[in-house]
Amino acid sequence: MKKTALFLGIIILNLSISGCLSEEIDDNTVESPEQYEWVDDGELVIVTYDVYGLTDEMISQFENESGYEVSMLKLDDAGSVLDHLLQHKGLQIADLAIGLDNTYLQTAIDNNVFWEHTAVLNNISESALMPYDGPFAAPFDQGYMCLNYDTSVVDGENYTIPESLWDLTNEEWKGKVAIPSPETSSPGRAFMTATTDYFSHDDDNQTDWTDWWTAMSANEVIITTGWSEAYETHYTGGYGEWTDGYVGDAHVVVSYCHSPGVESWYNENWTKSAALDLPRAAFHQVEYASAIEGGNLGAASAFIEYLLSPEVNSKMPIENSMYSVLEGVDLPEENGYRYHSIIPQQTAMVNSTTIANSMETWLEQWNTAMVDA
Amino acid sequence: MKRRVASISALAGYCILVVAPLYLALDRLVWVAGFDPYSWINSLNENYITQGVIGFTFLQATLSTLFTLIIGIPIAWQLGRHKWPLQSFVKSILTMPFVMPSIVAAMGFLHIIGPAGLNIRVDESTWFTTLIIAHAWFNMALVIRFCEPVLSTLDPNLEQQMRLLPAGRTKFGRFRNLWAPLLMPSIAAAACMTFIFSFTSFALVKWITLGDNTLESVMASVGSSAGIKDYMISRNEIILGASLIQFTILLAALWIMSWLQQRRQSLLPQASEATVKSSNKKGWLIIGPGLLFALSPLIAVLWASFRVRHTDSTGTTYAWETSGWEFAFAGTNSLPSGWDALANSLGYAGLTLIIALPLGWVLAQTILDVEKQRPRLARLLDILTMLPFAASSVMIGLGVMLGMIRIDAEFFYSFWATPVFAHIMITTPFVVRIMLPALRSISPEYDECARTLGMVAWRRFFFIKLPLLWGSILIAGIFTLAMSLGEFGASWVVTRNSDWTTLPIMIDSLRSIPYNTTYTAPAACAISSVLMIITLFLFTWAEKFRPARDGGMF
Repeated sequence: MKKTALFLGIIILNLSISGCLSEEIDDNTVESPEQYEWVDDGELVIVTYDVYGLTDEMISQFENESGYEVSMLKLDDAGSVLDHLLQHKGLQIADLAIGLDNTYLQTAIDNNVFWEHTAVLNNISESALMPYDGPFAAPFDQGYMCLNYDTSVVDGENYTIPESLWDLTNEEWKGKVAIPSPETSSPGRAFMTATTDYFSHDDDNQTDWTDWWTAMSANEVIITTGWSEAYETHYTGGYGEWTDGYVGDAHVVVSYCHSPGVESWYNENWTKSAALDLPRAAFHQVEYASAIEGGNLGAASAFIEYLLSPEVNSKMPIENSMYSVLEGVDLPEENGYRYHSIIPQQTAMVNSTTIANSMETWLEQWNTAMVDA
Repeated sequence: MKRRVASISALAGYCILVVAPLYLALDRLVWVAGFDPYSWINSLNENYITQGVIGFTFLQATLSTLFTLIIGIPIAWQLGRHKWPLQSFVKSILTMPFVMPSIVAAMGFLHIIGPAGLNIRVDESTWFTTLIIAHAWFNMALVIRFCEPVLSTLDPNLEQQMRLLPAGRTKFGRFRNLWAPLLMPSIAAAACMTFIFSFTSFALVKWITLGDNTLESVMASVGSSAGIKDYMISRNEIILGASLIQFTILLAALWIMSWLQQRRQSLLPQASEATVKSSNKKGWLIIGPGLLFALSPLIAVLWASFRVRHTDSTGTTYAWETSGWEFAFAGTNSLPSGWDALANSLGYAGLTLIIALPLGWVLAQTILDVEKQRPRLARLLDILTMLPFAASSVMIGLGVMLGMIRIDAEFFYSFWATPVFAHIMITTPFVVRIMLPALRSISPEYDECARTLGMVAWRRFFFIKLPLLWGSILIAGIFTLAMSLGEFGASWVVTRNSDWTTLPIMIDSLRSIPYNTTYTAPAACAISSVLMIITLFLFTWAEKFRPARDGGMF
């Protein structure tokens, strides 16, 4: 009996300890830059996902030049970076967030997780500053989300090259299109955002973007958890056919407009993949670096400056498979990288505030649209 | 008195480690989503990503369990009743799959069904069958470990006597009246555990049956945004709904399992393995394919680590090269080297061993002490120690993160040993499962005798108990090491906020590099091979120390 009582006691003690731990964080005030109080502890903690541009060589060079000691928390994807920032708000775990894109950035800013950085930025291209041009985030790479297709199959004979998104709801494309889920993937989110704009500008007033998703769902569109499952496992036009688990049942996939260029770069100027340039069906994605509230502002700003220096940022196409944000820096010509990368004529125009305010509603509408089919 | 203090501190430690995070997670999720179990479960049907997930989870777990028994029982019979050359090596090969990281298993199976193997991957209808077979591969060790000890030590006289009775004249009669009742508790316990592991399957489902999810894998895909106020509330509902179902089902399975194990304590007339076992040439028809089945995914991985692709405009060729191994251990760019991962993995495994082994041992002893007077409380404790099997890694991950945030997040995130917490959670239940039957099998007469002869407590411990338990302690230790080395899911969830790479995590990072260079796939296979070889070595070695009839789980 005594043992039972003790055991229950331990459990109750545990519960009561943990019960008082879950109080709310409700600090919603942001100080102006001059009021920021921070300590330079000589360390820089970066929270990011696998941004491959942040190589060891590059980090060590920064450490040598600046004297800061760098450590990194690597999460799964951009969404996890935002989740981490919201979960750890006010805890001063990390100093710098790298990798939020313009579909996530505004939500983070609205939740006051950033401080204004003090980095001096030069020569940033106008296009990179278009989605956001403020003090809470500095763009460091960019790209365009596009539909990609396998030219060896989608050659106008076996499959017709789609001329509108509605074409993909035709019988011919049944089960042949792979799209990462907007619920769990940032490319998926970006593409869904583009569809909201695409269908509000088409000639048809009877239908909207959710109708297209319902039709796609009925046409057995392949929705995947993340980009890599869509591109590597399902898409026939990319390097996926050499990876384990390759299925190869989709000839159209959501990826970057310059993905064919990257394919060509790795395959010594050869690719069978091409990007599809449909007006407003492409999304201009910019990725950002931001100083985290309460962190080492000096170190974070120094790293942002370093990341945007010509020496480092011009390597983005090679190290990170993304465009640089610097004016006048293009993809390399070598191995057909630039040749196979298109810049879409007209991208979807949705501003960051609209995205932040509407995203949860859009995701609910998307969910309903997919279930309705 | 000392023993009681040890028991209570072990229990308290275990509760803080396992129960507290679960409570924290639950508390936080309810705080965000509101308390409405009906809408939690309903949310699983309303969301596109979770539709059909309950049905799929049940179906695959049930079929996996059946298929595992179909494969496992004949193998256990052959191993238990007949003599085999290199017996311990054969047994360790057949049971090794269980401790392989699921990501290695997934890669192995994908190679076998891929273009270089059977080339059936393109046919979507094969995915489900592949998953069931992969689960059977993983879990057949459970059937072997549960049934083989009963078979290998049963006095053959029992069967001789049975033959003389009318009910035992035919093979079927002997099966029905002798073997079936004898093996049923072991088989049922193995079936329970197989069901639990298949029900919570994550990596194999993620890689093999695309588009279909188990409750566990769906929780993992939405887990990171759980527990944030006013943000993605539906995800909190999904996690609560999925956890509620998973927890209820698995707790029931664990209860049945614990009940069966207590029942299994009835002692049967035993004989030494030498008298029980006869040679049986025909048995190779079962053991041979069994070995091939156990080894083929692993051979596929080793083979793939030496195959390097070269692609250009003229086409694609594969060559035999060691460059994948060099890439894995070179540590370039954003990846740490294989040596770092190996060092971390070994360090974590060692630390886990030092903590989980005594903790599990004391917990097992506590259950045994309580068992005589209070069998119900003993069962409650027994189930408590198995709680990590039933809880989803997302819940544990979220809870541990909340715990770390409240105590000192900065410290835990930069603390090298943080992943060890996850490893202790995962391995302690196994230590309990191995030590409990061993402790049960020690007759109290030894201790009483020594007491009468005037031996003091520490001498009784070192000269009587320890030698008697030595085999089981070694098995538990080696098992802890192997599980810790191969652990992926929990450390991934628990330590997603820190940057310490282990071998399984490195395999995952290598695989997730987009636009991979030709080296990433062979490099991932190279790291998997290292993990495999260490495990095989540990297991073959462990076999030497296995007690004749430990009746334990592994």
